[in-house]
This record gives sequence, structure tokens and C-alpha cells, in this order.
Amino acid sequence: MAKVELKKLFKTYNKKIKALEDINLTIEDGQFFVLLGPSGAGKTTTLRCIAGLEKIDSGDVLFDDENITHDQPASRDVSFVFQQYSLYPHYTVYENLAFPLRSPMRKLPEEEIKNKVEKIAEMLKITNKLKNKATELSGGEMQRVAIGRALVREPNIYLMDEPLSSLDAKLRETLRVELKNIQLNLNATILYVTHDQAEATTLADKIGVLKEGKIVQIGTPEEIYENPNSIYVSQRLGSPKINILPGSLFKLNNITKIGLRPENIELGNGPYEGKVISTENLGSETVVAINFQDNEILASIQGSYNSSINEKINFDINTNKVLKFDKGDQRIYER
Amino acid sequence: MDTSRSYLEPSSFSKKMAAAIIIVYAVITLIPISWMVMTSFKNVDSAISYPPEVLFEPSLEGYVNLFTNRSRQSQEYLDSLPPPENWYEELVRSREMVITGPSKFLGRYSNSMIIGFGSTFASVFLGALAAYAFSRFRVPLKDDLLFFILSTRMFPPIAVAVPIFIMYRKLGLGDTHLGMIILYTVVNLSLAVWLLKGFMDEIPKEYEEAAMIDGYSRLQAFFKVVLPQAMTGIAATAIFCMIFSWNEYAFAVLLTQFNAQTAPPFIPTIIGEGGLDWPAIGAGTTLFLLPVMIFTIILRKHLLRGITFGAVRK
Repeated sequence: MAKVELKKLFKTYNKKIKALEDINLTIEDGQFFVLLGPSGAGKTTTLRCIAGLEKIDSGDVLFDDENITHDQPASRDVSFVFQQYSLYPHYTVYENLAFPLRSPMRKLPEEEIKNKVEKIAEMLKITNKLKNKATELSGGEMQRVAIGRALVREPNIYLMDEPLSSLDAKLRETLRVELKNIQLNLNATILYVTHDQAEATTLADKIGVLKEGKIVQIGTPEEIYENPNSIYVSQRLGSPKINILPGSLFKLNNITKIGLRPENIELGNGPYEGKVISTENLGSETVVAINFQDNEILASIQGSYNSSINEKINFDINTNKVLKFDKGDQRIYER
Repeated sequence: MDTSRSYLEPSSFSKKMAAAIIIVYAVITLIPISWMVMTSFKNVDSAISYPPEVLFEPSLEGYVNLFTNRSRQSQEYLDSLPPPENWYEELVRSREMVITGPSKFLGRYSNSMIIGFGSTFASVFLGALAAYAFSRFRVPLKDDLLFFILSTRMFPPIAVAVPIFIMYRKLGLGDTHLGMIILYTVVNLSLAVWLLKGFMDEIPKEYEEAAMIDGYSRLQAFFKVVLPQAMTGIAATAIFCMIFSWNEYAFAVLLTQFNAQTAPPFIPTIIGEGGLDWPAIGAGTTLFLLPVMIFTIILRKHLLRGITFGAVRK
């Protein structure tokens, strides 16, 4: 495993469309780094530039301080889990897993390949499928084999491009836990791309938030959640979504906008009065939508909460947790 | 009424109609071929008898005549010879002839094999590489190049026969296997590039990218991952190329005489005594049919998927 650094990376497609602009980031050895952002933000492009599948316009890619910007993909020794089309359909599961090990760059003895493949198959619980054709597997099994094909060797870095997005919710959760355990056991360096905030917060040691080809904030999941530097970043994490409201609503007249997390609103009593629009019981919590001076505010309450629509409701806000933003949607930090 | 079928499935009546139409069509197309095969098993007399004989006593005379050169001898001379050593010598002597040696047919037949398979392999191989490049790389003037490649098909190849004839004489390629392989490859290549490009476009590029990341060069990835998946297209293309170069007549007449002459120009020259030797010609064409038939049957499994390419995605 290696430390991976990107320095001043620029990339445009067809000489016009800017895909990446001045990307600087460092992924430490053994770190689980998640790139978060909506589609089109440049997450996949970043991975492809590291893998060498895209030529970059300028900037450097460094593995353990060694500049590999102009190396071929094969010689970079990275592994990649694609979102789709991940298995070679004309091979069996075993051959798929053995494929990277049989590369002319490695030339491992067949015995060793067999051991490694069987070990990884056991880890991902696909041992009984090894003889099957790749096309005979279910979606979940295919994706596990795809992850297995990446994990079967120890590259400089594992690059994962939304590997779980094509799976159903339950399997996604199981594999998410497995993936984190595997990463901890192997002490692997992983760069993981997702737009799923649950994946980002549970897996990441560090999160990098991308917006239109630029990195806007890097931090631990807690930092990104508690201390976002802009409205854009604050909206990346948290479910239900953060409330973005005009500051004047809460008598903060010199502040354009404020961000208020739903769990920082207390219902029952308080100086503010609104009307209930809807309630949504999610089991462990209830999301209450409130109409407050023609603004919709979402509040989340532990346990269940009984109220009927259009009922008047009083609430208070935790002023310490209010995030303040200026006209440019950037965070205003208190001294 | 069978009510269990889905609405999308054709009814059993239309299935039967379709089968009937196909059978009628098959019979019509098979009549000339079966007549040819029948002729090959007739003797010279029954082959040209009128009215034509549908039931006849089978004979291998046509095949014997195809493979041998014979000369007519007087009865006295034939009587002076030792008794015939095998069945075909006996057959020839019953016609008052002796075998003077093997005919040129086997040589022409193997020329056809070498040139047919050689040019098919070359067309498919070069076509696959070119198609891959057109499908994956940013080639300058790509569309114009593709159109240019196709435009070589817009006139009958024989239109350029004279320049090619002169070129081949200058280059010493006339009447050589290599010359014919190059010529047929050039004619087939445009078809191969266009057909295969369609198939290559269907293969997601993620496969090669995955292989390249897994430690293979682009060329290795092409052979290990792309080619196996393009098998359908390769089989279809190979059959089309094979059929063309196997059956080609005009260039073969013009450019080959002895060394590299293929079977098509040779078979019609089989002349019997006092007219064409129809059973021998029938035997020649029957044998000529077999390789393409076998080749097509071997690749049939791939071909069936190949014909519908683009229509279905896995």
C-alpha cells in the first residue's frame, strides 16, 4: 500500500468541458478516503486519472512521493472496482479472480494464484461459485466477485467507483460493513467514490467534497457534518436534509442564510410558532415538517410524535448549532 | 384453444404458416443443389438423357473422371494389359480407356483451400484490429476514412481487373497464392472492418480498462478480453469473407493459370469426350460445396447470434 498524492490536477474533456480544476489531495497509507459529490462533480474522473485511464492536462500524481503521472495503467499497480461491467463474461469466477494475478507483469506460480483466489473467495463467501460462469451470478454476487478481483492483490491503492450502487439496500449495507472490516484487516489504502452519504460517513476516515471539478472541503466525517464551510457542503451530509433558511426568520438580520440541522430543533415549547405540514414516522425517529412564516422547516424527534396536520406547534432552536452563511453561501465563522 | 401462451408469442397457426413457407422456400433453393449432387452420381449417358432421369443406378464414374486423366485405347491393347488392380481401373476400362495419371483437380482444390482460408484469416484479423481502432481511438478524419473504406465496395471489383492485372504482372504476384490472398483480403477488408466495428462498439470499454488496470497492455487486453467477446461478429464476418473468396471466379480466371489456379475456374474446363463431362463437373462442384458448408456449420452457433447483432443486448 502507498500514500497517494494529487497535485494541481487539471483535466478537460474535448478541450472544452472542464472536468477537474486544481485538485490537490493526499491519501495517507491505510486511509479510507471517500470522494463525495453529486453526479458530474468529477469523482469518477479523479479515479480514472489516478488509474491512468485518462490523460491529465497538467498536474502530478504521486505514489509514495514517486511521480507516476505518465505511467501506463498496467504499471501503476492499482486496482479498480467499476460501477458496472465489472466481470469478464467469458471467464468463470475463478478465472476472473485469477486474471490480475496471471498478468504478465506478475507471473505468479499457479499454486500461489490458487491459494490467493481461494482465500479471497472465502472472505467474500463465494467459494461455492468459483466454477460458475460470471454471467450466471446474481447482481450481488457479481459485485462481490468484482470487489474480490480488486482485493486479490495488494496494489498501491484500491480505487472504487460506487461499487455498491447497483445493489439492493440490504445487500449494500452488508457489503458496506464487510468492506470496512476488510479495509481495517488489510490496512488498505482506498479511494472510494459515492454520492450516498450513509456510505460516506460509515466508511470514511476522511471525506473530500467535490463541486463542479473542485475540491471544496476535506475533513473527517464529523468535521464535514458539524463544520461545513459552505451551504453546498452542509447539504452533502445529514438525513433528513439540513434546513437552509433566511437569517431574518430568527432575528439574525445581518446574516443572509442560516443552516439548521433537523435534530437541533426542539418541539413542544419555545418562542416560535408554526403549523404542522406533515409527520413521517421512521421508527426510531419522526420527521415533522413545519410551516414557519411560509418557510418549510424539517425537525427530527427521537421516537414517535403525535400531531395532526395544520395543528399549531411551538418550537425552539439550538442557537449554538446554527450555521451562518454569507451572501456567497460561504460559512461565517464566529470569533 | 391454447390459452396459456403469452400475447407476444405468435399463435400456433402463424407458426405453422411460417414453417410451411420456409419449407417451400428450402425445397425450391435445394432443387438445383440436389440435382447437382444427383448428376455427380450418374454415368455420362444418364446425365444427359432425355427425359431427365430422377431414378437412376448410382455410379462413381463422375468422381473417378474428376480425379483422373484417361485416354481411349483399342480393345486389343486393353486385352493385352494385366487385369485391373482396383475398382476404378475396372470402371475406366469398361469405357475402353486407361488411366494415364491423376487430374489437376486435387491441386486446384488445395489452392482454393489455401487462398480461401488464408484470405479469410487475414481479412478477419486485420479487420478486427482496424475495427477496434476505429471503435476506441480518436482517429483523425474517422468518418471520412470509414466512408473511404466502404467506397471500395461501390464498384464491382472486376472493374479494376485490368490495372490489377498489370500491377500483378509487374510485381510478380500473378498466379501466386500470396497474390490471390492479398487480392481477396483487400476486397473483403471493407466488409470486415464495417461489420466488426459494429460488434466492437457493442463491447463496453470498461472491460479493456479493467484488464489494463489488472496489469495487461492494451494489445494483451484486446486479445484476452475483446476478441473472445467479439466471437459472434468474427464468426459472421469469417463466413461472409470465406464465401466470397471461395466462390470468386472472375479474378481467378484472369490472374491464375497453373500454380495458384483455384477450383472455380478449373471445374468448367473438365472436358469429356464429345461434350462436357457432366458427372465429373457435378462431382467437382459437390466436393467444392463441402468446405464452406462444414465451415458454416462449425460457426453456426455464433452466426445465429451474429446475424441479429445490434438487436439484442445479452
